[in-house]
Amino acid sequence: MSARTKAFAAAALAATLALAGCQAIKQSAADIIASTGKVSKEDAQSLVKTAEVLRSTFAEITEEEEYYIGRATAALILSRYKPYRNEALSAYVNVMGTALAYSSDRPETYGGYHFLVLDTDEVNAMAAPGGFVFVTKGLVRRCADEETLAAILAHEIGHVAERHGLQSIKKSRLIDAFKVLGSEASRQFNSEELAKVTGIFEGVLGDVVETLVERGYDRKFEYEADKLALAFAVRTGYSPGGLAEFLTGMEERKPSGPAAGWFKTHPSPADRLARVKIETAALGAVPAKLDVRTARFAEAVKPLR
Amino acid sequence: MKKPARLTFFFAAVLAAFVLLLAETVVVKVKTTGVRRDPKFTSAILASIKAGEPLERLEAQSGWIKVKTKAGVVGWIHSTAVEARKVNLLAMDKTMKTQASAGEVALAAKGFNKQVEDKYRAGNAAADFAAVDALEKVLPTAAEIEAFMKQGKLGEYGGAR
Repeated sequence: MSARTKAFAAAALAATLALAGCQAIKQSAADIIASTGKVSKEDAQSLVKTAEVLRSTFAEITEEEEYYIGRATAALILSRYKPYRNEALSAYVNVMGTALAYSSDRPETYGGYHFLVLDTDEVNAMAAPGGFVFVTKGLVRRCADEETLAAILAHEIGHVAERHGLQSIKKSRLIDAFKVLGSEASRQFNSEELAKVTGIFEGVLGDVVETLVERGYDRKFEYEADKLALAFAVRTGYSPGGLAEFLTGMEERKPSGPAAGWFKTHPSPADRLARVKIETAALGAVPAKLDVRTARFAEAVKPLR
Repeated sequence: MKKPARLTFFFAAVLAAFVLLLAETVVVKVKTTGVRRDPKFTSAILASIKAGEPLERLEAQSGWIKVKTKAGVVGWIHSTAVEARKVNLLAMDKTMKTQASAGEVALAAKGFNKQVEDKYRAGNAAADFAAVDALEKVLPTAAEIEAFMKQGKLGEYGGAR
């Protein structure tokens, strides 16, 4: 045998042993379970199989599932608010948002990022899982320049990148979902399964929409999204000052009555501002605000003024 | 001479089979994306690829992976668009026959899918899916994004800090 043949043989043998080893692990797991005497050999095999497919936490929601949760969440948001119809503004917001998403930690999602201005004077911004980002007309009116709007979009992209929306789904609901979803590998549900899964899906949407629209995220998620907003904006080439400017403006115009909309779903602007200032100082050299961007922003939001 | 030659062929075939099995493969996990000429989003798209398509992983560089498609196109894809092929050690016997179609395996997983959405829509007429469909159609092109960056002196068009 030549040296080359020997090398081939050795490699092939090693690979065969590796495969044989894996098969042995599976068999021994089943044998151990069966050897307790409490379950039959067949049941033991299927237990091993079940362990392979069961999921348990939000992190195991697939990108495709996240997309369908996001689509339905967006559909529910759009049943409350209508899109603001202005093609030029829509194009401006989508190009800016996509540029920011490209510089984020998660530029690619199953269905991509999409940005929409909502036709309401309420001041709010929210992101459905997977990348459907909404900002209200009222909020855009409060932005002084492109850096400010970029900061808001980047904050929402931060929520999407970290899958904060999915983390508002109740654990018990996920466990129920995964029990049905993981039962066997087939893409089609029978009618009984479909009714069950759709019921769980409705519950999931309830959790997500309630968090986005009514209750707001846990404040730790808001602080995290602020930190990411600064990073994503700077990576794109924006001055990070937009976020502090926006929060300062919100603090000054804080309503005196009970908190509603943005003020209800977000921690106090003063509280966020204090953290943002510290984080901005830690960024070091950052891009400056430019007149060319402020001018095109003014042009794009003209119909709202 | 004849026998060792046959032996060499046999081992080479076995080895080739394992190399194919163990070659680094990633699977597309987003609905659709592009394999790009350079590792940046505004770079030209050489091939469009869909969820479940397996790609050969050639090298990696700051968030981007150089890949080769089934059709032989070599280019770059962002790491967040793919996942490592899941080789399930406990299911190695099944894997033997499914390795060739890892994409199909990924697609076969049950979950919240179109079927569930359709069922949900049937019972929730108020949810405005038509508006969501319209929103999904708004897709800025790479050229538009590049022009926006250039005009606003963003990204690579930005000045000194």
